[in-house]
Amino acid sequence: MTTEKKPSQEFIKIEYAQPRTYLWSSGRYLGRLYKEAMDNKKLVTNRCPKCKELIWPPSAVCGRCKVEAGEDWVEMSDKGTVIQYTYLVFPLWDPHYGEKWANPYPTATIKLDNGVYMVHHLEEKDPEKLKSVKRVQAVWKEEGQGRGLGDILYFRTIEE
Amino acid sequence: MAERVAIVGIGQTYHRSNRKDVNQQEMVAEAVKAAAADAEMNVKDVEAYFTANMETFEGIYLPDHLMAAEMGAYMKPGFKTGTGGTSGASVFEEGFCFVASGLFDTALVIGFEKQDTGDTTAAITASVTPVWGKGIATGAIGEFAKQALTYMQNSGAEERHAAMVRLKADKGACRNPYSHLKLGLKTVDEILNSGYLVWPLRLLDFCPQSCGACALILASEKRAKKITKKPVWVADVISMHQEPFRAGSFGDPTGTEEYSQDLAAEKMYKRNGITDVRRDICMAEIYEPSNWEEMNLYEHFHFCEKNEGWKLVEKGITEMEGEFPVNPSGGVIATNPIGATPTIRIAEAALQVRGDAGEHQVTRDVKTALATALGGPNWTVMTLLKRSL
Repeated sequence: MTTEKKPSQEFIKIEYAQPRTYLWSSGRYLGRLYKEAMDNKKLVTNRCPKCKELIWPPSAVCGRCKVEAGEDWVEMSDKGTVIQYTYLVFPLWDPHYGEKWANPYPTATIKLDNGVYMVHHLEEKDPEKLKSVKRVQAVWKEEGQGRGLGDILYFRTIEE
Repeated sequence: MAERVAIVGIGQTYHRSNRKDVNQQEMVAEAVKAAAADAEMNVKDVEAYFTANMETFEGIYLPDHLMAAEMGAYMKPGFKTGTGGTSGASVFEEGFCFVASGLFDTALVIGFEKQDTGDTTAAITASVTPVWGKGIATGAIGEFAKQALTYMQNSGAEERHAAMVRLKADKGACRNPYSHLKLGLKTVDEILNSGYLVWPLRLLDFCPQSCGACALILASEKRAKKITKKPVWVADVISMHQEPFRAGSFGDPTGTEEYSQDLAAEKMYKRNGITDVRRDICMAEIYEPSNWEEMNLYEHFHFCEKNEGWKLVEKGITEMEGEFPVNPSGGVIATNPIGATPTIRIAEAALQVRGDAGEHQVTRDVKTALATALGGPNWTVMTLLKRSL
C-alpha cells in the first residue's frame, strides 16, 4: 500500500507597509501662522490686548497677563539678528524615520526685527564665518508645504 | 497647622549605562528595598506611593502599573507624575504635601529611568512640540550648547573653568559608590581635549544616560520619631514653571529674561529667613546637566552675584572641602537616570544632613541643605532640608 503525501495548505504572505503617522492639530492661532506662511510666505502673530506685547508663537492666552489674547494680528519682518548659534557634531538620529539627522545647517536663535525670538537654521555652515554672522533674512521654500516655520528653508546672511 | 514631614528612609541603586540583568520593575525594587532597609521598616507599612519616570524614553506606557508589587503599592493610593526633568522632585513635593496635609502618615517617593532601553536624545527631539519646534531641536544637548556659549560670552568664564567644574564632579563621583561615570580625571586638559558633541559643548561637558532608581520614605513628625533617630526634616519645597518659548531655553543671551530659578529662590529664601545663602545653607545638590550650567545656576540660585559663578569655582568654594560644597556626589554630569535624578539630589542632600554620605561627606557640618531640580525651559523645584526644625 502506498501512502500519498497529504497535500499541505499553502499560505500566501503579502507584505505591505502601512505607515500610521500622527496627525497633530495646529489649532486656531498657530493655524493662522501656518496658513499665512504657506499661502503668502509671511510671518504673523497676535498681540496681547493688555500689555500690547507680541505673543510668540501666536496663542489664545497671554501667559504674563493671563488674559485672552484675541485677534489683533500683526505681520512680522522675516529679517532679524543672530544672537546665538550652535552646530551639531555628534551623529543624531531621527527617531521617526530611523535615519541620521539629515539637516546639516547650524541652529540659531534669531531676534526678528519685531522683537520676538525664533529658533531656526542658518545657511552659513563654515564655523569661522559663523562667528561674524549678524543680520539674516528668511529664505522660503519655493512651494509652501503647510509646515509653519518649516516652510522656511533657512536664514541667509544679508548685507545692510 | 500642617504636619511636619521628615525623610526617614533613603535608597538608591548603583547607576550604570546598562542594566540588562534586570527589567524596569526589578530595578525599582532594588531602590525600594534599600529605602525600606534604611528606615528599618517593611514597605507594607507605607501608606501611599508617588513615582516619576519619562515614559517616552523607555517606550513603556504607564510603567507604574507593571510594578505595583515591586513598589509595595499593590492596592494602595498613589500615582505617577511627569513634569519633565523635574519629575523626580515633583513626586517628592507630592509626597511631602500629602503627609503635611495629614492625609497620610507615611509615603514612598520613587524616581527611575532605564536608559539602556531606547535613545533619550532622539526621544526628546521627537517630543518637541510637534507643530512648532520639530526638525530644529537637537535634544537637550543643543540647548545646553547655546547656554554654554551664552555663559562664555557674558560672564567672562573660560573653558578651563568649566573643566574645573568637571574635575570637581569626577572627584566626588569617584568617592560615591552609587555614581555612574567614575573617570579618574586628573587634569583640565583631559576635558579640554575631549571632542565636541554640539559646539561648543564637549563630550566631557555633558551628562551621561544612566539606568537607576532612587526611593525615599517620608513620615509625619510622630511617625518619623518612632522610625528613626536621624530624621531629615523637610523645611520647605517650592516649584515654579515657565512658558516654553523664550530666547534661550536654559541660557539667556539677551540678559533680560525672567528665570524661574531666580523667582523660586527669592521666594524660598524670603520665607525661610535666608539672607546670606552660603552662610545660612551649608551645601547644595543641584541639577546641572552640564558644567557650564552649574556655574550659571550658582548665580540664579543666588550663591553669588551675577557673572561670578566661575569665580566660586576658581576659589574652590564649591569643592567638597570648600566653604559651600556643591554636588559632592558627583552630580548629574556623572549620573543621570533622568526620572531619578532630582530624587537623587534630595537623597544625597539628606545623606549630607545625616552625616551618612561616607567618603563624599563634606567637611562643613551640614545643618541645612538645598536640593534643586531643573527641566523643560528652566522649570525649577527647590527643596530645603534641615537636621532640626
